[in-house]
Amino acid sequence: MAGGVSGYAAISTRVRAMKADLLSPQEMARLSESPDFASLVAGLKNTPYGKYLSGLKESDLTPRRVVFAIKNKLSDSFNSVVGQAPNETRSLVKQLYRYYEVGNLKAVLRSIQTVSTWKTDISSWERVREVLFPFGSFATIPAQAMVESGNVGGAVELLKGTPYEATMSFAMKRFSAEQNLFPLEVAIDLDYWRALWAATKRLSGKDQEVAVKIIGSLLDMNNLMWVIRYKVYHKLSEEELINYTLPFGYRVKDDDVRAIATGADIASVISKIYPGIQDVNALLEDPQTGLPKLEQQLKRQVIKTCLAAFVGDPFHIGIPLAYLLLSDFEVQDLIVLIEAKSTNIAEEEYMPLLLKTNLVQ
Amino acid sequence: MFFPKEMSEVELIIPAKDIVEVAKVLSNQGVFHQIDSTYLGLENLGPSAWQEKAGNYSTLERRIQSMMQTLGIAEEYPAKASADNMVELETLTPGVNRIEEEVKGISDQLSNLKKRLEMFESQLRQLEPIANVDVEVGALKNSSYMHSILGILPAANISRLKTSIGRVPHVFFILREDAQKPVVWVLGPKSNSDVLDRAAKSAYLSPLSLPDEFSGTPEQITTTLRREIDATKKKIVDLETNILKLADKHKTELQQLLWDTHVSRVMADAIVRFGQLRHTYVVVGWVPSKEVDGFAKKVKNVSKEVLIETTKIEYKNSPSNVPVALQNPGFLGGFEALVNTYSRPRYEEIDPTILIAITFPLLYGAMYGDVGHGLVLALIGLFLSRRTTLGGLLVACGISGMIFGFLFGSIFGDEHTLPHHPFFGKFFWLSPIHDVLEILQIAIAAGIVLLILSHLLNLYNAARSGNWGRFFFDSNGLAGLFLYFSFLVLLGGIGANLFTGESFLPHFLLDLGKNPLLSSIAPILFVIGLLLATIFSHPLQHWMHDGHFVVEGGWGMFAVQSAAEVLEKIISMLSNTLSYVRVGAFAIVHAGFTGAVFVIAKLMGEEGSFAYLAVVVLGNLFVIGLEGFIVTIQTMRLHYYEFFSKFFLGGGANFEPLALAKVKEN
Repeated sequence: MAGGVSGYAAISTRVRAMKADLLSPQEMARLSESPDFASLVAGLKNTPYGKYLSGLKESDLTPRRVVFAIKNKLSDSFNSVVGQAPNETRSLVKQLYRYYEVGNLKAVLRSIQTVSTWKTDISSWERVREVLFPFGSFATIPAQAMVESGNVGGAVELLKGTPYEATMSFAMKRFSAEQNLFPLEVAIDLDYWRALWAATKRLSGKDQEVAVKIIGSLLDMNNLMWVIRYKVYHKLSEEELINYTLPFGYRVKDDDVRAIATGADIASVISKIYPGIQDVNALLEDPQTGLPKLEQQLKRQVIKTCLAAFVGDPFHIGIPLAYLLLSDFEVQDLIVLIEAKSTNIAEEEYMPLLLKTNLVQ
Repeated sequence: MFFPKEMSEVELIIPAKDIVEVAKVLSNQGVFHQIDSTYLGLENLGPSAWQEKAGNYSTLERRIQSMMQTLGIAEEYPAKASADNMVELETLTPGVNRIEEEVKGISDQLSNLKKRLEMFESQLRQLEPIANVDVEVGALKNSSYMHSILGILPAANISRLKTSIGRVPHVFFILREDAQKPVVWVLGPKSNSDVLDRAAKSAYLSPLSLPDEFSGTPEQITTTLRREIDATKKKIVDLETNILKLADKHKTELQQLLWDTHVSRVMADAIVRFGQLRHTYVVVGWVPSKEVDGFAKKVKNVSKEVLIETTKIEYKNSPSNVPVALQNPGFLGGFEALVNTYSRPRYEEIDPTILIAITFPLLYGAMYGDVGHGLVLALIGLFLSRRTTLGGLLVACGISGMIFGFLFGSIFGDEHTLPHHPFFGKFFWLSPIHDVLEILQIAIAAGIVLLILSHLLNLYNAARSGNWGRFFFDSNGLAGLFLYFSFLVLLGGIGANLFTGESFLPHFLLDLGKNPLLSSIAPILFVIGLLLATIFSHPLQHWMHDGHFVVEGGWGMFAVQSAAEVLEKIISMLSNTLSYVRVGAFAIVHAGFTGAVFVIAKLMGEEGSFAYLAVVVLGNLFVIGLEGFIVTIQTMRLHYYEFFSKFFLGGGANFEPLALAKVKEN
């Protein structure tokens, strides 16, 4: 299928229809006002997520199962967009979708490391399954067999023939020496984002222009958070920070990442890139609470970029990409709400973490 | 054909003793869409034994598949495979163990040899980049003043590694370029060894494992390695011959074992999703209502004491999780695919497949009206019809193009032959290129008919689902329909005042606008329509649904939104109506394109000359391809944007019945 008007006629219509199914800030605000978890679930049943919750019995409505159910909507959105994306952009959408498989892969590896500490009658796979993203037929990793293999080495062996084989073959040498999942996870992340950026750059014309903005903004957020976290929490050296980050993005340049790596003031680097983000110094004073807030602000920058894609010429890949990211942020918001309501967290603690309602304010 | 199959929710209470027989019936019929009903069971019974059984069957199936893969046997089922019964694990396992033991010995040896070969080859590759270095391999490792790291790393990490060691003196060589695993050599002062090591490690550089068991220069080691590789390869060939013999010996038995395990696993998986009570099991699922009797009879045949409760699901107020099984004949597959690309119909919705099977070729043919071009398209469709369902769609569009070709008097762009033919001339209706205004008028008139039809379909869908708020106050509901009627009268009135002579607006529209009674009522209806179908549409629909008149976001926000929606509605009514003018416009373009082919052909040579004929043939092929593509896009656009968006919500779930082999839909 060709690009432009011809390539995007069907998908643009479909995506706009699906976008109408996203929760409005008012709906999100109403859900956040639910007094408890049960009322939140009842409220969710009256939204487009209702269809995904209808299969669950009342007594089965545990937070974990509800989260799993609502992720199915996101999965459906991706499947739908992947199926209809023009040929030349499909690899980018598929690669973006693979983000969740990367998450699943990391979750599987973590579960293998920690399974021995679980005190339960339920099989390890049954427990892991519920925290995985419902990736469906696009899955390339044999998750169940990996969990059942019981050790990281055996699990990684099962990745033969998957897109992760080459990366893992390098990273496993470090795992074997260090017995720590950190190098595996970093390698998977770097490989994923490099492939996503390469797929973005393979596009042409308007498609590339908008995709660079959207994917680049997402990459900016990750790159910044990586370098800050590795520096603040892991106390890594300059050369390690450089090797564990990426030299591309939309607004964040390699010089910015390297500046932080070599010890420049983080707040001034961030303020230079995002003049709109204020009080960065205050946020960094207490990294434990400040970094999640900084991440929220960076996510809002991505959301703004996504919303901008819907303005003007609709015949490009920006609209499907922006819709998928907005859907993901919506699910993130709902997960925050589900966790907050099920553990009775005070409103003032979780409200700042909601992206959609804060965007309206 | 117009609606998805009516579904019945089926609940079965099965005595524990009959569970396997019933599972066999459920899995084998291809009509039962199972719902996970474990939640209906008693929780205090603990994990079901079937869960473990299903897991064991699954593991066994994987073991058999793995053996077949090792032996190079295709994963096929026996030619006379039938789902006779569930085979117990105890019956299957000894056979699998026996063959596995036999296969494992040889396959382990083979695997070890292959690993050894891989290691030798890897060592050989690792030595290649330093093949010309005339030093003992051990000397590289033991330098006194220099720190040296020789290794492979992911190609993508090279530039980052270079950047990361930029602040210390170093030299960096790429000894072997490779898209996946390049070999690099980093050298620096011993005093910076910690920086170099950290950088190399964080770039995932794996130091080369130069062979310890062989000594000498790289060249000498290479010769030894090559000898070892040849010997190992010979052993591998011998073992592979043995494996082929084993494959011949066990093929039939393995295929039978795979089938028995597969059948048992599918049944066990189905049973796992049954709700377990003390002495019975609860099973819930969906069955097309027409199949319920046959289904129940087959279940009763295998279990006399089974209790079956079926509930026909009315379309009105139906739950959202009812699976949707469409019931279109096979030749409409292409049109059904078009509908599904937009969305799968909901259970209570009309299935628009049959409708677009009429309107799609109709609009397509009108834009592609040429007997010759239509014929070529139909033949291409016929050729493709064995490979893809879209072939049928192309045949229908081609035939429609041919019919319009006769009406427009055009064959391969020649517009003189058919209109003057004693027989075919009788079918000649009009020439798009000469009767421009007339064809545009017809196109807009057809669009108005289709838009009214889409409103009526929306009314029908709303009534069928019992959604009266949508019926009355949706922007494409009853109030929306009146709004559109009044808009047409106003448009006709404006048209009548603007155009004194012929215009592209249909005559009936101008007549409506000139009618004094209608033109005096229309403004009032228009305002009422805007109020009901746009401004207060959502609050009124809320009110019809739950008795509350809800204004979301406060009156201020409501006023701003309403103003935008009114503007959008008026623009969309105008643009939707005029959008169909493209049908006429493309009919003209089609004729224009082919006309241009003949003009160019005449410039190239005398009529009948080779150059003339070549241009006519190539030009026609160009028009067939380009126009075929453009018209497809336009027809899809008219259906998706203008037609479907008025009445078709979509979002239905797929009907996926249990089956041992893949079941074709419908």
